[in-house]
Amino acid sequence: MGLDTMKSYKIRTFLTLIGVIIGVASVIMVTTAGNSVSNFIAEQWNLFNPTGMVIGTGTGGATPQLSIRSVAFTTNDVDNIQRLPSVKKVAPLGIIPLNKILKRDGFLKWESRPGEAMYASTPALLEILNVELEEGTMFEEGKNEVVISKNVAEIFGKDKPLKVGDTIFLRRVDGKTLEAKVVGILKGSSIANMFNTLATPSIICPAKPYYSSYFGSNVGTILKRVVAYSVLLAEATDTKHVEDAQNEILNYLNSAQSDANQYKDQSSDFVVITQQYILVRIDQVMSVIRTYITAIALISLLIGGIGIANIMFATVTERTREIGTMMAIGAKRRDILQLFLYQSMIIGFLGGLTGCILGASGSWFVVDLLNNNIQNLGGAFSMGSITLTYAPEWFLIASIVGIVIGIAAGVLPARKAAKMDPVVALRYE
Amino acid sequence: MAEYIIDIDSLTKIYKTGKTEFKALDNITLKIQKGDFVAIMGPSGSGKSTLMNIIGCLDRPTSGTVIVDGENISKVSDNVLAEIRGRKIGFIFQKFNLIPTMNALKNISLPMVFLGASKTDRDQRAAELLAKVGLTKWATHRPSELSGGQQQRVAIARSLSNNPSIILADEPTGNLDTKTGEQILELLVTLNKEGKTILLVTHAVALKRFADRVVNMLDGEISEET
Repeated sequence: MGLDTMKSYKIRTFLTLIGVIIGVASVIMVTTAGNSVSNFIAEQWNLFNPTGMVIGTGTGGATPQLSIRSVAFTTNDVDNIQRLPSVKKVAPLGIIPLNKILKRDGFLKWESRPGEAMYASTPALLEILNVELEEGTMFEEGKNEVVISKNVAEIFGKDKPLKVGDTIFLRRVDGKTLEAKVVGILKGSSIANMFNTLATPSIICPAKPYYSSYFGSNVGTILKRVVAYSVLLAEATDTKHVEDAQNEILNYLNSAQSDANQYKDQSSDFVVITQQYILVRIDQVMSVIRTYITAIALISLLIGGIGIANIMFATVTERTREIGTMMAIGAKRRDILQLFLYQSMIIGFLGGLTGCILGASGSWFVVDLLNNNIQNLGGAFSMGSITLTYAPEWFLIASIVGIVIGIAAGVLPARKAAKMDPVVALRYE
Repeated sequence: MAEYIIDIDSLTKIYKTGKTEFKALDNITLKIQKGDFVAIMGPSGSGKSTLMNIIGCLDRPTSGTVIVDGENISKVSDNVLAEIRGRKIGFIFQKFNLIPTMNALKNISLPMVFLGASKTDRDQRAAELLAKVGLTKWATHRPSELSGGQQQRVAIARSLSNNPSIILADEPTGNLDTKTGEQILELLVTLNKEGKTILLVTHAVALKRFADRVVNMLDGEISEET
């Protein structure tokens, strides 16, 4: 009976359905996109060593913030931290902003590209970052040698990639141009990891001769220049000792032995951010965003429900005489109640089902769109792509909420219909 | 004592609208024998529709007893009342009151749906009734595709679907031309001959001749019986 009516009021039923469909589909699209992006970010970070941590200065406390502007850590500090029992490896990270990367293209002819970020470090960095060389070797301290990522290798064109043994010229932001021999090329297109919060590393070089952040330190009357870094990267001996390593490092840095304690900006604290902490933070941020968007989607479901209620009320009023007739020919109040509930249930169910299908295919488009954006953002650095990851529990939640709202929205109008006085209903024009 | 299919004793019906009371039926006593064809006549406002509604179990008396086919309907629940309507009474309305979204066959089946008959039984019975009123060809047509006379025939077929003992026809010819109206009345006479008790509410004097008995009403009382 409900189906007969729905067929007769095609446009009306269709419009009501759309309300529910959009609600359910948007809940599913939002949760699927959220799920996929969360997984993607977690994957990106998991490429990095789970025992890894970033050491810097900034503000400590429950939500530590790193500041990379001020330099504090010396090679002496690096050596001392390396000796701590729970620390497996530590490597400095000196940021060298580049203006340009140049290549000689025949006699007196130069080809140049906008600069990428370059990092002064030690060979220990690769181990901490879990990155291997695809070909060539690591640079030697004091030599004009660099290791580059695959994307940097293709910076002058995919058809003429830089090879091990090639010479490039690096122009720093201070105007100084330094010659560099490519000695190694990293595996994979990028190092996607904790580094991303700083910049994406593309070129790794020895501190000498490229890095020149110094402190002026007075030794007697002679000004001694000390190389200093803003950030150190370290890894603990194993996952169980991450916290120990963190504490040992902080204890050392805050002690009188550490150079950093003397050089750092006195208003800032030492901060050690672990990989685990970052993952937890990302998850928190993602869940806030997801909750917010899901709330919006649920509101649209609710609006769909109000649409059902509205249509059902209109239908009940319009069919008053029919209701009276049905009562006259033997319909019990329960029959009338069921008739209208059944109708709103069908709308809720069909809407939920269609919404699920539409949401599933819509998610595919959303993830595809996100992937396109990532490719555009990435520039020379591909960050991989988001894999479509459905959240099955949300299919269930969305369709159940759709059906429940459909029924709930039908209850009041259906009760109104069932409570009618047959005599009055039969007289209705 | 003769057995009455409708036994009304001192029936009074009072409608209340806010503080004003309106006595629609005043102390009516009416007994109708099984197989009678009774015409209830009277001007509008005379109480004939109210009497009809009470006999049809759509409304309850304010006082007095009403026994319909052995059931005292004065103090039963809505559900029981609906059940009695479904089993014992067939309604025929002036405006046919078919369900516009259903075809003729489904309209005829509807009272059986409410009594829980199986689909096979319903379909078979509805097809028989459709044949009885001569509309087999129109089974899948909706009311809007049928003429007034055809719609009323479908309505008559519907009123018969649960094989009731009483047929209540409220101005069944009011929306039909004279010729079609006569045909409908003849159909009712046939049903009466098959044993149905028929109550015809009308103010068309011309229809008197079809009835065995005429009850005239005025101002909530039975004014005259012939």
